[in-house]
Amino acid sequence: MKLKRSLAPTLLILTLLLGASLLYGLMQSLGYLTIIGEKELSLTAYQNLISGQGTAGREFWASLGFSLWVSIVSTILSAIGALFLATLLNRRPSNFDTFALNWNLAFPHLVWGVFMLLLLAQSGLLARWAGALGIIQSPADFPVLVRDRYGIGIILTYLGKEIPFLTLLILALLRTQSDGYLLVAQNLGANAWQRFRLVTLPLVRPALVSGSLLVFAYIFGAYEVPALLGVRYPRTLPVLALESFTNPDLRARAEGMAISLIIAFIVLMIAGFARAKEELQG
Amino acid sequence: MKRLIFALLVFSMLLAACAPKSDSATADFDLADWDSVLAAADGQTVTWYMWGGSDSINAYVDNFYGVALKERYNVTLNRVPVADAADYINQVLSEKEAGVENGAVDLMWINGENFFTLKQAEMLYADWAQAIPNSAFVDWGNPAINRDFGEPVEDLESPWSSAQFQFIYDSARMDADSLPRSYADLATWACEHPGRFTYIAPGPGAFQGTRFVKGALFEISGDAAQWGTVDEALWDEWSPKVWDYFNKFKTCLWREGETYPKDEYELHSLFANNEVDFSITQAIVGAGALIDEGLVPTTSRAFVFDNYMIGDFNYVAIPSNASNKAAALVLANLILDPEFQAAQVLPENGFGLGFGIDVTRVTDPDQVAVLEDALANLGEAATPAEDMAKSLVGDAASPYQSMVEEGWRENVLIGQ
Repeated sequence: MKLKRSLAPTLLILTLLLGASLLYGLMQSLGYLTIIGEKELSLTAYQNLISGQGTAGREFWASLGFSLWVSIVSTILSAIGALFLATLLNRRPSNFDTFALNWNLAFPHLVWGVFMLLLLAQSGLLARWAGALGIIQSPADFPVLVRDRYGIGIILTYLGKEIPFLTLLILALLRTQSDGYLLVAQNLGANAWQRFRLVTLPLVRPALVSGSLLVFAYIFGAYEVPALLGVRYPRTLPVLALESFTNPDLRARAEGMAISLIIAFIVLMIAGFARAKEELQG
Repeated sequence: MKRLIFALLVFSMLLAACAPKSDSATADFDLADWDSVLAAADGQTVTWYMWGGSDSINAYVDNFYGVALKERYNVTLNRVPVADAADYINQVLSEKEAGVENGAVDLMWINGENFFTLKQAEMLYADWAQAIPNSAFVDWGNPAINRDFGEPVEDLESPWSSAQFQFIYDSARMDADSLPRSYADLATWACEHPGRFTYIAPGPGAFQGTRFVKGALFEISGDAAQWGTVDEALWDEWSPKVWDYFNKFKTCLWREGETYPKDEYELHSLFANNEVDFSITQAIVGAGALIDEGLVPTTSRAFVFDNYMIGDFNYVAIPSNASNKAAALVLANLILDPEFQAAQVLPENGFGLGFGIDVTRVTDPDQVAVLEDALANLGEAATPAEDMAKSLVGDAASPYQSMVEEGWRENVLIGQ
């Protein structure tokens, strides 16, 4: 109870600021655009999106699909990568590895994205080396790894950022456990795979699952990496939303806001799911 | 409890900081009496929001207008560089929604799309553009000036400079004789050189791409002038042929038309990295300013097709809630001064866009000499003036902007 009361000021500010913005966004998505004197509420923006009509609506379903594809693939691959890396690092404890992982966290996603672009573009660093070595003759010979239709560049960028993040979460958990379980399992004749499956995995699963949901929610709502490394079509939902919001035609804002709210709704569902799972286990 | 009070305090301070300023900086002046404008502007600071992505343009603004404003009128120039015009449009719109009467923006560099947005929101100071003294040099009867992307200007903005769509090639890579000189040529050229051509994806915020597609519409339909008014039947007749044209050579494009550069800078970078053979520019100095900025190779040159190269003007406008309208008017007037119009076209000054005024309206012999001298020194990276003039056409009526963008997306980007 005491804890809850001390949170009150924070909650108050959050509710006021976030609540006001959310309400404002909701009103705009319903066509309440005071700038151009529109005050009538309607569900037109949502109808356009669902039926795939209008400026943003035409791309809505493709964008939703693309956003889900990028978020799900990035999350699953990050989780697998992190699990693998954490298990590996846990065998040889050192301070250096956590330092290396923390160091990565200091870079914003945008910086990673630019780095990937400079490295992997068809006229990027790797392509130039390949050209200098005579492996490729022209930039077009280099495989398309960024600004590609399947979001490979975007996914690679997220892997570079999220694997270290999840690894840190898992390592923190693993390193606070004693080696007892593993030793007992080994004594009982469990091989490496069995030890991983029956001891390590159950230990880290709660952290891994909630961490992954966090990663998913972040990627699903993030703008900068897909804006930088994506193609013109299909685009992720946040990119589509911002374009509608900055569209010269102010009426397009309703659709932009509707998309933003749909993103927020999906992310909230994921967060709620994560919380429910945590409570179930905790 | 103490914390709660503290939080509320912080919050109320935040609110106070957001509240509109109550002091009024707007001095009284009468637009019909220019001296009263000058007197009101004396000592003011004019805050000019403009696209700040080019170092050379920023330097030109500071070194020419900034210095002259201070010396001649005791007005301080506060240039606010912004990444995208949409950002300051949003600033002005938010101020309107919040009821801010003394806005942060005094003057804005806008054209076409942004003008349309602000006009739609009724956020522009009205009835001034033809009242400032130097507007006598502006050819207000020209539809290319009194319509901005086809939208009637209605005295809400004043021209700064002009631009015309041109292509850029690298003279070290290609011979001038082998350049395509029409859209039909271009499609042939592109398929003879697969992957070496692309264009900016038409869409909101990427008007150069839209303009490129409109040029094709003009050529395929054989006439530019007929697009000056909206005609649904005409559009239904010709637009499918335009999409056919683009779809036919789509697979010959860079990345086989799977994606397109989203703005001019992405295209310059593809061109500079030797991924494609053409870029585009709108500047009267052609590739000159881009070469100086190091964005394209020094051997880059500009060229145009024989016809259908769309030209237009860009403008400055004053938000209706500007705090220093007098100073903004003085600056808008200074921009049209023949002396500065001559300075802005010279490649070495770093601006590089064309005249906003009609030079034939200038009668003072000294000013005429300065203007003629500037025209004679546009640099070798510029398109020859006679080519420019021969190919110049005006833009289509404003509804075609979104019709072209939507149609291209539906039929070329997504379609097939």
